[in-house]
Formats: sequence, structure tokens, C-alpha cells
Amino acid sequence: MREVLIQLWKDKFARIALIVLGVIYLALFFADFLAPYTKDFSDRSMAYVPPSKIFTIDENGKFSRPYTYNYIREFDQQNLEMKYKLDRSKKYYLKFFAQGQSYKFLGLIPMKRHLVTVEPNGRLFLLGSDINGRDVFSRLLFGGRISMTIGFLALFVLFPIGLLYGGISGYLGGKIDAIMMRFAEAVMSIPSFYLLIILASILPSGMTSIQRFILIVIILALIGWAGFARVVRGMVLSIKNQEFVQAAKSIGQSKLGIIIKHILPQTTSFVIVAMTLSVPSYILSESGLSFLGLGIQQPDASWGNMLKEAQEFTNIIYRPWLLTPGFLIFVAVLSFNMIGDTIRDILDPKSKVK
Amino acid sequence: MKWVVYIILVLVIVMGLLKSCINRDIPETTSFQNTIQTTKEIIYPEDQKTITIDGVDYLQSQAPVGNFGGALTSSTIGEGPKTFNPFNSKDNISSIMSEIMYDGLLTTHPISGQPIPKLAKSFTISDDGKDYIINLRKGLKWSDGKPITADDVVFTWRDIIFAGFGNTSTRDSIIIDGKLPTVEKIDNYTVKFTTPKPYAPFVRMLSTPIAPKHIFMPAVKKGTEYFETFLSTNTRPRDFVISGAFKLKEYVPAQRVVYERNPNYYIINKDNKKLPYLDKLVYLIVGDLNNEVLKFEAKEIDTISLQGSKVARYKAMESYSDFTIHNLGPDTGTMYLAMNLNNRKNDKGEFYVKPEKQIWFQDVNFRRAVDLVVDRKNIVLNIANGIGAPLFTAESLNSIFLNKNLQPYDKNIDKAKELLKQSNFSWDKNGQLYDKFGNRVEFDMLTNAGNTEREAIGVMVKQDLEDLGMKVNFKPIEFNSLVNKLVNTLDWDMVIMGFTGSPIEPNGGKNVMMSDGTLHVYNMRLAKDKNSPRYNFEKRIDELFTKGALATKFEDRKKYYDEYQQIIYDEKPFIYLYAPTRIIAIRNKFKNIFPTSLGGVTYNIEEIFIDNEIQNDKRSK
Amino acid sequence: MDILKYILKRILQTIPLLIIVSLISFFIIRLSPVDPLAELRLNPSVSQETLERETQRLGLDKPIIVQYGKWAKSFVKGDLGITSNGEKVSTKLKERIPNTLLLTTIVILLTWLVGVPLGILAALKWKTPTDKVLTVLTSIGMAIPSFFFAVLLLIFAVRTGWFPIGGLTSANFADMGFFAQVADIAHHLFLPVIVLFTISLAGLQRQMRANMLDVLDSEYVKFARAKGLSEVQVVYKHALRNAVNPLITLLGFEFAGLLSGAALTEYVFQYPGLGRLILEAVLKSDINLVMASLMMGAIMLVLGNLIADILLIITDPRIRVKA
Repeated sequence: MREVLIQLWKDKFARIALIVLGVIYLALFFADFLAPYTKDFSDRSMAYVPPSKIFTIDENGKFSRPYTYNYIREFDQQNLEMKYKLDRSKKYYLKFFAQGQSYKFLGLIPMKRHLVTVEPNGRLFLLGSDINGRDVFSRLLFGGRISMTIGFLALFVLFPIGLLYGGISGYLGGKIDAIMMRFAEAVMSIPSFYLLIILASILPSGMTSIQRFILIVIILALIGWAGFARVVRGMVLSIKNQEFVQAAKSIGQSKLGIIIKHILPQTTSFVIVAMTLSVPSYILSESGLSFLGLGIQQPDASWGNMLKEAQEFTNIIYRPWLLTPGFLIFVAVLSFNMIGDTIRDILDPKSKVK
Repeated sequence: MKWVVYIILVLVIVMGLLKSCINRDIPETTSFQNTIQTTKEIIYPEDQKTITIDGVDYLQSQAPVGNFGGALTSSTIGEGPKTFNPFNSKDNISSIMSEIMYDGLLTTHPISGQPIPKLAKSFTISDDGKDYIINLRKGLKWSDGKPITADDVVFTWRDIIFAGFGNTSTRDSIIIDGKLPTVEKIDNYTVKFTTPKPYAPFVRMLSTPIAPKHIFMPAVKKGTEYFETFLSTNTRPRDFVISGAFKLKEYVPAQRVVYERNPNYYIINKDNKKLPYLDKLVYLIVGDLNNEVLKFEAKEIDTISLQGSKVARYKAMESYSDFTIHNLGPDTGTMYLAMNLNNRKNDKGEFYVKPEKQIWFQDVNFRRAVDLVVDRKNIVLNIANGIGAPLFTAESLNSIFLNKNLQPYDKNIDKAKELLKQSNFSWDKNGQLYDKFGNRVEFDMLTNAGNTEREAIGVMVKQDLEDLGMKVNFKPIEFNSLVNKLVNTLDWDMVIMGFTGSPIEPNGGKNVMMSDGTLHVYNMRLAKDKNSPRYNFEKRIDELFTKGALATKFEDRKKYYDEYQQIIYDEKPFIYLYAPTRIIAIRNKFKNIFPTSLGGVTYNIEEIFIDNEIQNDKRSK
Repeated sequence: MDILKYILKRILQTIPLLIIVSLISFFIIRLSPVDPLAELRLNPSVSQETLERETQRLGLDKPIIVQYGKWAKSFVKGDLGITSNGEKVSTKLKERIPNTLLLTTIVILLTWLVGVPLGILAALKWKTPTDKVLTVLTSIGMAIPSFFFAVLLLIFAVRTGWFPIGGLTSANFADMGFFAQVADIAHHLFLPVIVLFTISLAGLQRQMRANMLDVLDSEYVKFARAKGLSEVQVVYKHALRNAVNPLITLLGFEFAGLLSGAALTEYVFQYPGLGRLILEAVLKSDINLVMASLMMGAIMLVLGNLIADILLIITDPRIRVKA
């Protein structure tokens, strides 16, 4: 394993990808601290305002502590247009490591310190605000927690199922194998995206956001296990006739024991490659589901449902800050792909995993 | 060499960061001064009038004379038409698409909203309000040359509508005390309808299309099942025999519907030339609003209805672009919030709504308190980008029946808290709301997922209600599931939804307002509960709707409908939120555009023509 | 004779598969609380009687197993039923399938034309920067959410005016000459093809690269090299053929994958294809339409696999027919 990491670090692209992902995950871990606001904080009089302007040289041309102005908006009856203007009547100075909105760090430790906040009544929207006047920057951090973990969680559900299913099917062989594989093939031959939508639309409506999140994870896992199980079965077929398996059999180990203890460990390198290469597809699936309104729901944030707001033509032209979740998805997925590709080349260059 | 590259890279990044930090505060000179634009006042032409030439009763347009030719491309959102048979259409788009081809006896005056003759030459209603005498135009022909006579009218009403063919909603809505109206032929050009009782909404029904008997008769003879597939979207365009201004030319599924000019239409211009001016009318089928806007921007479509933030963009472009924006005032679509007032049990003997919640929702003080904290002003500003108006009434703001005495008001938390106190609600030290039995006030609020507007409204309303100490679990759910909850399983607490109303006929909303209606959302009664007790205000609204339909004079009807709006305003079973403003853009090359709030922009499609000079101008540039 | 027997056996084998697919799909869809008549119910002008009639017509008042039986019976007879709007499912599918075939064929052809050479190149230049750069470039296409990419391209089209905004044909398509029609369709296809192409390119390129590496490492290539054949001959005569063979088996799955991947792209581009139809049907729980489309998808997949297998038997004598 160390060997793999060292080789990974040696690869230039993989190194950049690792650093990028490291920064992202670190930021998500400390999201509460880094974000100036909580996920649901909103100032509805400042909906859709552009990113706050931070000044370090004041109007007299002198250096100053960094400060910002609030935006005021006004509806122009004549042109039917919402206009935004800096409200220069009051300066709000930025404060670092100061007390702000209270939160529970990692859901446990109550804290109030934020990396950066602004004086009371000032609003620091580093990446502008959305339709409800919520801070896009803060929501990106909280939404990222969901988007960037959903893939991994789905894999943790999917892999045991796939491994066991494929292992049993391949090891036992015969009629059981045939039946199990027919079923897996049937699941595979339903176009996955539609299966995903159908399953997502079944979700009962009376769920809390956490339940919904878990169920979406399970659904994503339900889609992916069959293909995975099929490959595992193929590998098991070739492993099961090897000597060490025969030896274990002759000692009289149980079938399940042999599968779990002797056969499945042989598939590790394949599993690792498959894992890194399938995380991005789950991130993309989540964004696709959210695009249709079937993924993570408002008021919760995920990169997918934040990106939904950016679909609109006028938003893309006039409010480009709403596009940041799309950019982050792109960066994260690309990084995962690069790491996956490199690991594959290290472990198993001829792997058939896409 | 490598380290040099790294140092340069780091330097560039640091410089970039510094540049973004060191920002000089230079006051801008922009201000909110509005540039005053003079909008051209629209001079409406006189009403169209009947004129007889060589024994044919034409309808003569009084609009300026234009030139012939060209096409208007419009769009429709969704999956496109499902049928071209106007009697089968169950959705709005199919109705529009099929009714282009078949004119009705009457139509609605685009300004006054009163019924006026169209395919009919004139009509009279007897003093007792029961008999409708319709005189038809003489000499009119179907597109295959057969004359349009009283037989067609009688056939349409008796053998299609009354006989229950196709979509029976027209038929169902005119059953009065279990009886249908009757229709009889007086002579070849005169028809008499008789309703069992005076029934004011019936006159609106006379705008239903008239079918050519010789074409529809064979289909009717084959029974209702065959009729369902008659004139479907697979029918060859040349098999349509029509009376309207345009005839189907081509239907490409999921892409477009193309109509061509009816050369034998009965509306003529002041030079006595047969209208319509346009050769072609094209509807592009687009899937969503976003695509529609893109198509308008790319000049693939000529007219579009604009929402929210898009309005500002096109308003700003208007002065140097080739289109004009028309503000048609408030839309008939309304957005509302409703609580479940159901007090019955389901098949399993459980209450649809938990008993403690029932006490809250059925308490008018609770509903008024909710109403008072809803921040309509900011909903309009944020959600609709200011392109809309707060709404407090059940009838839409452009309805001719709007009760203008019902005053708007602002968000008022103190007053709301006062009302809750009156009903013995109380707050703990964290400001959380409890009812008099000590239950925490907590409930679910639903809306349909995927609708950015409604989701954003939900987020706002949730915060508003939390100002009162309520705990609201906001859950956007899939549209079809939501509807299933609203009309079948009935297990919901609060919902944000929308309706489309009619600005001219409140009776269209009886399915929503009357206590046994199929869309009586706030207290939906399933078939088994049809006779369950009503709330007093529900009873009164039932009465008012029945009376309103039976009254014949506008003033009398207005009184009844005013009172029903007053009751909704006071009792708050529906809490109306806002009505978007209808903004429509249309290319300047189209002339004879006389937009009205009731009719829209293209209601006079036969009069619209393309000004060749403007068109050529563009080309030469 | 052997081949015929084999084909027959394979066809018989697919029947249980199709039954399982239909069972899974049917029950999952009917489990959902989604009401197929929701749109009608919400229309204030539709009466109770109309709604009841629709319920009966769709058989929604009967238990699920009866509904399935009814559906399966008519499906076997070739009757696909009607949609919740009362249109024939078969005609709806007929409208859309050619469009989808057109789009997917072009995309698959293009991906093969570009992906296979790029895969070979990457394999030959294994462990060099060229290989790395190729892998990164192809994965860029895979990293953008397809719907988002599509939206961006549409805005590009609006801004430049170079491409039409979605759809498949222009409004005056019917009045054009044959060549103008072909050009018009190509013009409309350009952007959706780009999106789908960039998504599926990475997968194929990697697959080809892996296969090629596998083959280049094998005994007979070593043998061919030992024989003193030139590198060009080794690669193009011996290695290539064997590396492409496994790709043929993937054709069926690739088609199913595109059907699935194209849904959002077709949706954003308003492309009149099967993907958008299924998407809309699923969202509305239009059971007959969804079932028919999913079965179509499954049958196409099975057929694709079958054809691929037969192709393999014909091209590759090493595979014995186990009849």
C-alpha cells in the first residue's frame, strides 16, 4: 500500500490531483469554521447580490483594515429591473478568528469562531448570494460535504454486496451461478439512469434530510452492484481452482469462510481501482438527480442542487458566481479520475475497469 | 531550471491574490436614476363588425390594412399536443392547438371580457335567462367547401358534447340540477339553446368549437372508443376539415406544429380581402422555459412570455433590438399556501391529519397568523425579480370579478403573535411555539421538487414561520407524488402550490372552491366522504357559487363572487402569495399588435401581418 | 448448423432475462406513490367521471399482480398499450426510435473512430507523457456534468449564432431539398453529438488502451516480434485485431449506456429521442410507456450482445461453439 502511495506521489498529474482533493476535503472538514455563515443563514433583502467587494485602500487613498460595504437593491419600475448598488453610508470591517454565528464543530463541539466574519449587520458574501439571499460560499462548503461523501458511502454499501454476490456465485458455480448471474444481468440491462430516477421518485416524502441522503446513497449502490458482482465472479472463477483454495478446502473450511478469507482478498487491487474510478460517477449521478429535482432537496445544499439554480440562461450571464458548484464538480471529478487512472496503471495496467 | 518555473508560478499566484485583496474604494457615479421611456400608447381598432357581400356574412376587421405573407413562430412548453380533436383535448396545449382550427359560435371580447359573436352572426338571451337564440352567418363554408349550417351546431352539441364523447368536462359543467340544456334547429341558420334554469356560465360555453357534421358523424357512429383516437396526432393534415383561420400543415412530434393559412376564412379586412395575412403559423415544442428563452434570443421564435429576471435583460435590449415588450398586467396564475383542514378519518380509522395539528389548522387565528407573517413583498422581489404583485384575493388581479375592497397589508409579526396568544398558544424561553395542550407546533410543508421558484418560496415561508416559533419541515417532493397526496391519500399538513384561474368566469374555479370539488385542496373529500359535515364558511361558499352561476346579470353575480372572495380573505383556507406579471415580447416586424390583459398578444392572429419594410430593412443591414 | 443451434440457445436464454427485467421494472414503478393521472387531476376543468374512466382504462384499480399479468399478456401479443394521455405507445416509440438510432450510431461511430486510434496510441506510448496527456484530456470530457455542458454549449450557440438551439430539424424543413435537409439535420446534431461523444470517449479510449497493452504482452505478439516482423506489421496485423475483438462484445452495453446517458442531453437539447421520452414517462409514471421503453432497451441490449457474439464466432476461430 505504501508502495502505491509513493508511486502515486511520483506521478505529476496524480500529485496535483491529490493536493487538490486534499485541500477540498480539508476545507469541507473545517467547513463550519471556514464558512462565514451557517448553511441556512439568509438575508432576504440581499438576494442575488454579487460577491462582496473587499477594500484595503479607502476612498482617501490610504491603507486601511479590509472592509466591505453592503449592497442595496432597488426595483426599477421603468425598466423592470433589479438594480444593485454599494451602500457607501457604512463600512463594515472584516474580523479574523472572531465570534460569529454559533455552530457545532463536527456536530459535537459548540463553537462560535469563524475564520473571517464581518461586523454586525454587514454581510460578507465572498461568492455572492443565491435566490434566497444565502451565502453561496458557505453553502458550497456545506454542500460539498454531501456531494463529496455520497460516492464513498455508496461504495461502502455496494462493495460488500457485490463482492459477496460475485464470490458466492463464482465459487458455487452450476445452477446457482446461472440463476444469480441471470438476475445480475437483468439488473444491468435496465438502463441505469432510468432505474435511478424511478427509484428516486419512489422515496417516501415524509423523510428527514438525513434519511433522504442515506436512501439516495443506497439507491446509488443498488444501481452499481450488478456490474461489479459480475467482474468479481469472473475473477473468482479463475482463482477458485488455484492450489491454496484447494488446500483450504481439504482442511475442511466452510464455503463462506473460503470465499471471504481466501478468495476475495485476491481481488483487492481490482477493488481499489474500481473504487477510485467509480466515485466520480456517483458525484455526477447525484448532480443529475438534483438537476431533475430528485436528489438532495432544498433547503439542504449539495453541489448538484446548487448547480440547478445556475441552469437558467440569465443566471449564467448575469450571475456567474452561481456557476461555482459546477466548476468544483468538474475539478473534483477530474482529480478522482486522474488518481484512479494512475492507481490502475500501478496496480493493474491491463484492467478492464473503465 | 525547474525551480525557476515553480518560483514564477508561486509569484504569479501571490500577485494575483494581492491584486484581489488590495482594492481601492473609489465611489462609483452610477445612481438609480431611471431613464424615462415613453411607451407608445396603443390605439385599439374598433370592434370587428359583420358585413354582407354577395350573400355571405363576413366579419370585417377594423384594424389597419396590411400585406399578406410570412410566418409567425411561437412556442409551446411541454410535450406538445396529444390530439388535434378539440373535443378530446384534456390539456391546455392540445386545446390551443386544436381550437386554432375550429372556431366557436362566440368568443370573448379582448378588452371588456364580454361574450361577442364569432362564427355566429348575433345572439340573444331571453329575459328569463334560459333561452339562447343564435343566428349563424350565411354563406360560410368549411375548408372542403361544404356550407356551415345549423345542422353542424346541433350535431356538435347534441351528438358530441351532450352525448358524452371525448373529454366530458364541458358537458359536466353544464349539468344543472341533473339536467342538460337542450339544443334545437329553428331553421338552417338559427339555433336555440335552452337551459333548465337560468345559468350564466353557459354563455361562455358557447365558445366551444363547432365540428363539421359530415366529417365527425362517421366517427361518432363508431362509438366513444373510436372517437378517442379520431383526429389524433397521427392524422394526415389533409384530412382536417376546418373553419378556423389556420389549418394543420405538419406535425413533427416533440419538435413543432405548423399551420397554414385558411384561404377561405370568413374574416376580411377593410379592403374586403380575406384574412389571415400570415401564410404560416408555427409552434415550436420546447421542453422548458430556459430553452424557450434561448430560442427567442437566437431569433428562432418571434414571441415569448417572459418571467422574472429575464424581463430585465430584454427590457434593456428592447431599445436596440428588433422586438417590443408588452406589459399585460397581472397573470391569472396564482401561487398559494394552504393548510389541510381535513377532520375525517381514512379507511384504517386514522385521522388524515393528526388531531393536535387539526386544532391548529382549523383555528382561524392560526391561519391568519400564518398569513400575517408571510413576507409577500420579498417573495415578489426575490422570486419574481419584482415582476409580479402580492396577492390577497382568490380571484386573480385582472379578473373582471375582482373584489377591489379587499385591502393588501404587510408582514406583521406582532399582530400575528397577538392572534396566536388569543388562541392560547405560548412561547418558551427559546421562542419555540407551543399550543395550549403543551404540544410543540411542528408540521411539514410540501411543494413540488424541481420548481426553483416554489422551492425558494418554501425556504422563505419556512423562515417566516420560524419567526413565530413554529418548526417547519420543508420537503419538496416529486410533482406526481404531491398531487397524489393532495387528492388521494390526503396525508399532508401545509402545501405551496399554484392554480391557473380565469379572468372572466369565476365559475371555472368551482372545482377548487366548492366543498365537493375535485380540487378542493384544503379540505378534499373522497367519494366516501361526500356527505361529511362542512365548515360554515364552506357551506356559504357552496351557496354563493350555486347562486352566482344561476344569476344572469353581471351586477348580481359580482355581489355573490365578491362575498366569496371576502370569505376566503377572512377565513384564509387559501393564503394567496403573489401573481406574476405577464410580460410578452414580440418582434417589431409584426403589425396590428393590440395587446390586452385578457386576450394577450396574438388573440387577433388573423389581423397580424408582417411589415415588409422593417423586414427588408433588417436584411439590407 | 452449430451456429444456428447456438443462436437458438442464446435466444431461448434471453427469455428468462426479459421476464426478470419486466418484473423488476413493473414492480418498482408500481411501488412508487406517483399518480399517473396527477396532471389530469390538477386540471380544474376535468371532472370526476372523466378521472374514474381513466383509472379504469389504465387498470389502476386492480392489484399489482393482475396489472402485471394484463400487461405481460398484451406485450406478448405485441400490443404495447396506450400512454396515460391515450396515445398508442407503439406509435410514440416509432416516432422516437429512428432519431435515437441516428444520434447513437453517429456518436458510437465517432467514438470508435477517435477512441480506438487514441487507445492504440496511448498503449504504444505507454508510460510516456503522451499516454498521460491523452488520459487526462479524455477524462476532462467525462468530468463535466453532461446537462451542464449541454447548457453551456447552448449558450455558446446563442452567443455565436452558429448552431440552432436544440431540436432536430428547422421549421421550414419540409420545404427543403434533400441535400439541404441532410445539412439541416447535421447542423442540429452537431452539439448533442459533441456532448455525448466527449462523455463516452474516455471509456472507450481506456478500454482500447488496456486491451492493446494486454495483447502486446501476449505470447503470439512476442512470437511475431521474434520472427522479425516489423513493428508496424506486429501492431496492425496481429495485435490490433485481437485487441478490437473484446470491444465488439461491449457494443451492446455501449448502446444501453448511451440510451441512459443521453437522457439529460436530449432533454437539454430538446432532441426528439427515446431518452427524453423515457425520462418524461418515468417522471410521470406513465407505466405502459416506461415498460415498453425499458423492454425495448433490454431487447436492444440483448440483440446487441447476440450480434457481437456471432460476430466473434465468425471472426475468431479460437472461440469454440459449445452447443
